[in-house]
Amino acid sequence: MELLELLTWLIPVGPLAAFAVILLLTAKNRTLSFILAWAGIFIALVLSWIVSFNVFGDFLADGHAVAEEPVRVHSSVAWLPIGDYYGDPQGSAFAAAGDEAHGAEAGDHGAEEEGHHGEEAGHAVVPDETKSGTWFRMGVAVDPLTAVMLFMVPFAVFMIFIYSVGYHNFGAQPGKFLGIPNHGMEEPMFSRFFALMSLFGGAMLTLVVADNLLLLFVGWEIMGFCSYALIGFWYARDYDSPKRLSPRRAAVKAFMTTRIADVIMLLGIVFFYRTFGTLNFSAAFTPESFQNAIQATAFGAVGLGLMAMMLFSGAVGKSAQFPLHVWLPDAMEGPTPVSAVIHAAAMVSAGVYLLLRIFPLIAVALEAAPGFGWTIAFIGAFTALMSATIAVAQYDVKGVLAYSTISQLGFMVAAIGVGAYIAAAFHLITHAFFKALLFLCSGSVIHGMEHGAEHVHDHHSDPQDMRLMGGLKDKMPITFWAFLIGGMALSGFPIVTAGFWSKDEIFADAWYNFLEGSPVGLFVFIMLALSAFLTAFYTTRQLALTFAGKPRSPLAEHAHESNSYMTTPLVLLSIFAVAAGWFGIPDNFLGTDGIFYNYFHHFVGATLEESFHVLYELHLIPHEIFTLPFMIVPLVTSLVVALGGIYLGWVMYARKPLEEGQPDPMIGILTPALHNFLHNKWYWDELYQAVFVRPAVFFSEVIAYELVDRTLIDGILHLVARTIFGVGGYVRRFELAVFNDGIDWVKDRFLDLSREFRTFQSGKIQEYALLSVLIAFVFTAFIMLVNAGILNGILN
Amino acid sequence: MDWLLDNILSLAIFTPVIAGVIVSLLPADEKTITRYVAFILSLVPLGLVIAMWFIWVNNYRVDPTFHFVQQVPWFPAIGASYHVGVDGISLPLILLAAVLTPLGILASFNIEEKVQMFMALLLIMEGAMIGLFAALDLMIFFIFWEFGLVPIYFLVRIWGGADRVYASFKFFIYTMAGSLGLLLSIQIIGLSTGTFDIPTLMTSWVQLHPDTLLGTTGLTLSTVKTLAYWAFFIAFAIKVPIWPFHTWLPDAHTQAPTAGSMILAGVLLKLGAYGFIRLVVPLFPELASQTAGVLATLGALSIILGGFAAFGQWDFKRLVAYSSINHMGFVVLGIAVYAYVYGVSGAPNDALRLDAIMAGNGAVLQMINHGLSAAGMFFLVGVIYERTHTRDLKKFGGIWSVLPVYGGILIFTSMASLGLPGLNGFVGEFMITRAAWGAFTGQIALSMIGLLMTGAYILKGVGQTLHGPTKPEWLNLPPMTMIEHLVIWPLMVMMLALGIWPQLMLAVINDTVTKIIG
Amino acid sequence: MIPLSWYLLVAAALFCIGLYGILARRNAVAMLMAVELALNAVNINLVAFWRYGNPSQPVGVAWAIFVLTVAAAEAAVGLALIISIYRQRDSVIAEELDILKY
Repeated sequence: MELLELLTWLIPVGPLAAFAVILLLTAKNRTLSFILAWAGIFIALVLSWIVSFNVFGDFLADGHAVAEEPVRVHSSVAWLPIGDYYGDPQGSAFAAAGDEAHGAEAGDHGAEEEGHHGEEAGHAVVPDETKSGTWFRMGVAVDPLTAVMLFMVPFAVFMIFIYSVGYHNFGAQPGKFLGIPNHGMEEPMFSRFFALMSLFGGAMLTLVVADNLLLLFVGWEIMGFCSYALIGFWYARDYDSPKRLSPRRAAVKAFMTTRIADVIMLLGIVFFYRTFGTLNFSAAFTPESFQNAIQATAFGAVGLGLMAMMLFSGAVGKSAQFPLHVWLPDAMEGPTPVSAVIHAAAMVSAGVYLLLRIFPLIAVALEAAPGFGWTIAFIGAFTALMSATIAVAQYDVKGVLAYSTISQLGFMVAAIGVGAYIAAAFHLITHAFFKALLFLCSGSVIHGMEHGAEHVHDHHSDPQDMRLMGGLKDKMPITFWAFLIGGMALSGFPIVTAGFWSKDEIFADAWYNFLEGSPVGLFVFIMLALSAFLTAFYTTRQLALTFAGKPRSPLAEHAHESNSYMTTPLVLLSIFAVAAGWFGIPDNFLGTDGIFYNYFHHFVGATLEESFHVLYELHLIPHEIFTLPFMIVPLVTSLVVALGGIYLGWVMYARKPLEEGQPDPMIGILTPALHNFLHNKWYWDELYQAVFVRPAVFFSEVIAYELVDRTLIDGILHLVARTIFGVGGYVRRFELAVFNDGIDWVKDRFLDLSREFRTFQSGKIQEYALLSVLIAFVFTAFIMLVNAGILNGILN
Repeated sequence: MDWLLDNILSLAIFTPVIAGVIVSLLPADEKTITRYVAFILSLVPLGLVIAMWFIWVNNYRVDPTFHFVQQVPWFPAIGASYHVGVDGISLPLILLAAVLTPLGILASFNIEEKVQMFMALLLIMEGAMIGLFAALDLMIFFIFWEFGLVPIYFLVRIWGGADRVYASFKFFIYTMAGSLGLLLSIQIIGLSTGTFDIPTLMTSWVQLHPDTLLGTTGLTLSTVKTLAYWAFFIAFAIKVPIWPFHTWLPDAHTQAPTAGSMILAGVLLKLGAYGFIRLVVPLFPELASQTAGVLATLGALSIILGGFAAFGQWDFKRLVAYSSINHMGFVVLGIAVYAYVYGVSGAPNDALRLDAIMAGNGAVLQMINHGLSAAGMFFLVGVIYERTHTRDLKKFGGIWSVLPVYGGILIFTSMASLGLPGLNGFVGEFMITRAAWGAFTGQIALSMIGLLMTGAYILKGVGQTLHGPTKPEWLNLPPMTMIEHLVIWPLMVMMLALGIWPQLMLAVINDTVTKIIG
Repeated sequence: MIPLSWYLLVAAALFCIGLYGILARRNAVAMLMAVELALNAVNINLVAFWRYGNPSQPVGVAWAIFVLTVAAAEAAVGLALIISIYRQRDSVIAEELDILKY
């Protein structure tokens, strides 16, 4: 096992090292830079798959053993000292007390000692951790959930890396302008792009392998930074239309919107830490730990529910759920590979991954009060439906995908809300594959359109506008087929595609939840069914608008297939977009028995199976991990909405493709007012701008600074200063009158006197001599008179 | 060698002062030589402090009380002695001062006016700061406290920006106003106990019976203690600065020369926070514990309003200055928790005890982190001001295309300041947030608004400077010089190192904090 | 023998003549000569007191010789000064030499 621990530690190291090396050393050499980035992520991919398949192998060999001990790989290092200073004479005493009192990562002491002695040895400075009491430990852990993520994340990221090389026109003439897209030329900040992408990948992998919330949060925030840097990658780009957000403002919007969630999540983390005494998932989510925690908080299980809601807020921001979904469509301003990595493999998956990671806590919340379940389910389902309606009225090829991402994430969150842990995880994985595929395809389309724009020297038409496309099927065949596969997976095209199986599982879970007597299940079921119908519809619409019919603009006329750097990943991802679903076919599909085996369900379910069993016995959670019976209603629903949506889309857009200049038939059906409402994204941006952004700016500039600091506080200070100055002025006048003038008067009198007496100083020697003689005479006379006794009468 | 080791702390205090005198005596027209001499001399105390650090780590972690102690009778008539020593709380701060001064000197190589005096003032200030952190006698403490004021006053007054007279005056008078009460309270303490020795006072002064009458005044000790406590409180609150005593800071920082801002934000602000930890909490445990809520609320207000005010700025340097208020608010919150638990009557329960350890650790670490990142930010603002002669964010734009390396460095440093995990700022903020959750849930929850604004103003600064189309007037800005790189890289390395492996510093802090909390 | 008082009267008369000369003469050289007269009056007193006091000890005579010597030196220095002043201001009238006036 020791080797696996080391390999797990090394998973994020490759991309992170690539980031540092590219930025510090090889930034000038583009070829070396991208090869380094490839190498970094490829090493991560190999290591991840080794670890992942090892865990899966364990599961295949002995499923019960995995369920008994789901954390297959675990290793941690002492990271943050928190008390019990080094070298206390009662070393053993406080080690025990520390574990007991502060819940310091008990239990895994033995395990990590062997793993970590090597690193600490030879370091006189860092104390021997076994003697140094309580530490906060940073570590990695791999359980089945982590394993499936490790299977998906590095692969999708690696595909995107390959694709990026072509997307940035590697090998073409280098572009000259920094900070704006150089169409048809090699990106001048090529190395910087790969460095940041590597950091992005490294952060996501850190998040996935983290064994505690803090390390997860580290990866989480670094990803936030990377998304900021990459969305704003073309930092100097400006649009003619003031309505369209420039990349740099989109970047700030993304960072700030997610940061709202992050600060609440940070509070949730500290709440978690103080309540459970640890941030380690496996240490916190044991039945005993839950029982202690429930007693520790002021509100019992409801307190834990509040904590879950705080952490859930983080996921709301990161996974772009209502009301914090507004950043994600604008994140499209980044280069398309960035959109792919944000929307598929990394950023948004992180939010749902967090919910899956803390699912035991959420399960406790679901049982504690129905309100928590309703909140999560409502946010998820509402987001799913709302963004599906918006996607219907979008023309930007990436915009549709952005809203479909939000919508699909809503599916996952709603699934969490009804306790469908495995279904959410399954949809997370399948969605990551087909959404990465779709984004890369759309990038390929845009790339082709940009090529057309270069060719006809048209720099005003938007190469992302689907109204200007059409007929690309023949010009970009590989992209078309890949897009079709991804689109069908997204629509949930029955049986073949991955999306069908994962959505079907969510439907089944929601329906079963309803059958168990929970109205949330029905609500989620209906909302998601409507969303799924819309999803199938707008995906077909998008496919038809883009590829069917004849080209509707010179851009599309001159578009051509992208280079092989870009098409190879499309092909590879297409395979996964279809095949990933086959691992999750329900055991009893169509009432069969023994034909299918739901690998995904049992493998990921093993993560929580044992602990949920105990928690269920303690009545802390609503239900344990179990296999659903076969139900016909969700299956039929799923078939109807998928096929119905596709059919409707086909009728409206593909049977008679749009001609050049013809308006979207959707406007007629929806009425222009409603269409505008949807096209403008329900006006959330405008609302937030008016309600939050402008007041915040106003508060900062006018109230916090001008009013409070400059006027109030400085005003008081200046008042004090002015009062003192005023008093000082009076004191000064008093001084001037009394001391200054009074002393001057005395001085002047002396002056006058001396002016009188100075005439003695005549300079004539004889006058002086005469005076001396006279004085001598007078004194002599006086002395003689005294001696003679004549003056006795006077003196006595 | 033995002599060196015996006197290493005093040497670290006084070598900068001596170096300052030497530098000030150099001939006025030898500017280049002066700069290099000043820089090289400033490495001497750095070397001494690093030696102390390693001696500490290798020997004293077992017993993390005061070490390197020297006590010499100084003014026996009033019971004051020259008593210095360091523990795990002051040693990192001394290291910070010793690191930032050479960097500040390097950053001022472009000063052309009165070079000798400038460098001498910087060096003398270093001596005062190290002396203050090492002082174990109230009189010595106060002398260094006042002594540190003078150089920075002249630095702002002579080499400052357009509004320097107002700024330096405001800073000086404001701090002096606080010092008055401090001096009076120190006298009262000396009068009631007959000593100024801090370790002695920590037991004798605290244990004096509250009904003891003080001298012939007829005041009971409890009254006097309350008065003295608030005098200490306000003096240090002004220095930190805690909202609403903060308005001197943006003016002074904005007007100070680059090195002045670096030292001011990097070390001088820590004197106030250090005063709270070293004096206020141990000398007035009950009062500090009872009023910890006030301190925590003011800390939260510093975080929130500092964040908003920073976001409202259009002067880059003033924005960074306000960020100091925002960040020091976290230190104050940490100190509040520490004070709350330290003085709580009876033995604190384990959860509170852990809170206090985290709070103490976090507060000291956050001071170091803020020292590094604020110094870096001020330096980078100085670099861009040097080239553009403006600090107006509205006038910048697109500078990243012209200065790509500078842009990367600015983003790195900004992110450290923002508290991006993996860089230093995050660790302190996390620990303080964690610590404050138990005792001051409301305050810490509200502070999150301030943390949100931290992101907003940092991105505003970075975005307005680097992003956007390049304005034609900035097309020919020269790249960063070698000396500028020499200043910022050590800071960046430390930010990264402390972010990834905080125990490099935290181990030392933690030993002492744990020992104190017990 | 002639009584002592006679000598003293002569000396006093001589001193008064000298004093008058110093105070009344305008010419600085004449004033210098008057000073000599006053000095000689002193000499007469010294010798007279010696003779009528304690003749076995020749103290008075010795003093008188001292005074003579000093007077000679004084005359030399004084005359030199007067000559130098005369060269500067073309005058030896004491009243006109008032450069020390206020």
